[in-house]
Amino acid sequence: MIMSRMRCNAAEGGVSTVLVVDDEPTARLALAARLQRLGYRVIQAGDGKAGLEALRRERPSLTILDWMMPEMDGPSFCEYVRQDPELLTSQILMMTSHDQPEQIAEGLARGADDFLSKAASKYEITARVQAGIRAATLVRRLRDATEEIRQKQEVLEQELQSAARYVESLLPPPGIILPGVQMVHAYRPSLALGGDLFNIVPWSDDFFGLYLLDASGHGVSPALRSSSFSTFLRRDSLLRHVGSNDPGAILTEANKQFPLTETGHYFTIVFASLDLRCHTLSYATAGHGGALLHRRSGEVCWMAQPNLPLGFDPSTTYVTATLPIGPGDRLYLLSDGLYEFPAASGELWGQGRLETTIQALGQQPLETVITETIAEAVRWQGHEQFPDDVALMGVEVAI
Amino acid sequence: MQTKERPVPNGVVLEMTGDLTYANREQFKTAVEAIRQKGCRHLILNMAEVRFVDSSGLGLLALVSQNFKLSQAKVSMLKPQSYVREIMSLANIQKLIPVYDNEQDAL
Repeated sequence: MIMSRMRCNAAEGGVSTVLVVDDEPTARLALAARLQRLGYRVIQAGDGKAGLEALRRERPSLTILDWMMPEMDGPSFCEYVRQDPELLTSQILMMTSHDQPEQIAEGLARGADDFLSKAASKYEITARVQAGIRAATLVRRLRDATEEIRQKQEVLEQELQSAARYVESLLPPPGIILPGVQMVHAYRPSLALGGDLFNIVPWSDDFFGLYLLDASGHGVSPALRSSSFSTFLRRDSLLRHVGSNDPGAILTEANKQFPLTETGHYFTIVFASLDLRCHTLSYATAGHGGALLHRRSGEVCWMAQPNLPLGFDPSTTYVTATLPIGPGDRLYLLSDGLYEFPAASGELWGQGRLETTIQALGQQPLETVITETIAEAVRWQGHEQFPDDVALMGVEVAI
Repeated sequence: MQTKERPVPNGVVLEMTGDLTYANREQFKTAVEAIRQKGCRHLILNMAEVRFVDSSGLGLLALVSQNFKLSQAKVSMLKPQSYVREIMSLANIQKLIPVYDNEQDAL
């Protein structure tokens, strides 16, 4: 609607409307006639109040306003207009018979855009009116463009929110994943959309896989890449493409399927399998440091193996490592966003403090450990918003 | 990030100053691509003045190494600082880009 008004008024050669507000009929009619001869559509108002009504109703390109009027004078009219959010961008040309510099300064200070002497020549009137209309056109274009940007931004944000809800719907619901195995997680994307994803891959009644992946970069593109990778990591897909539940074999195949993008983006990942019958944890990592085993005894074991992130070199073979696990042991998979973030001083929280925090929380309920670890990290950085995506998944084995 | 090229026998040393991060990836990419286009056989990245490399910077190093390999050329790294060296070794980047502590060894 705003666009259509702009078109018929000025932007594409339509007739511009000028409002003349003056209590003195002779002067008003004379100016109106002159403006009509110049090709403008003219509306007239005999006092400030009627002027404001006309301004609101007609939204003229330019208002020419007499300074001296009973009740509401020119400067008061201007002040009123500048306080009204709907009218404040109106162009106002104030007319006065005594154009003293102090008076001009006062008029401008109270909200007029320009001045016109009552004694001005025909040429000056034409020139000032044209200048005013030019300014009005620019202001309208700017306002329309701002409005258009705001609307587009709103659409984009709604789409981002809906994409974010989709990504979160890919995450596993916390709870008992197999008899005797509890899982709790925390997920804090740095923007609406995150590039971290994690999930459970059920192999059998007493054997399951779990992974946490981190796509480099922030925002829409890593979120898309992550969700495509998580599709590859579904049970059926893995059995079809890899034909094995061995973590090393899975990452070796994923490394071929997900090469470095042309802009240099890639994944880091930890993939683990827990065999409850044999009490073993087998795992492989690709450039991913965030995986630790917190034993019931209190011992903490970081599972990182120094090796390339996925996609860096297609010939890489990722090797499975194996650890024994026992009742009460807890496995934590996390993204580096949970330790590579600074305090206000610039000092990073680091893996050491994360480990100390988890150790200090000890055998408190898994839910508490996850919540309190995030809370401790938030205390360190001094605010809620992490600079990178943060994901933390904890699994406790009771049998 | 600021970069300065210095020709050496059979290659080019790129002196890097600043952080290699998402924010300044374009400067680094442009500098390196220009060197590759000129047919350089061996690019030596001097990291002595680089304080920080983020995950995006790491990906860029891998990409540069892949692109040089396609041109039958190689990339080496010189004197990374301790924090950067730690990031490089966690990601096993020396498998793609050999790391040296002095220029003579790199040549």
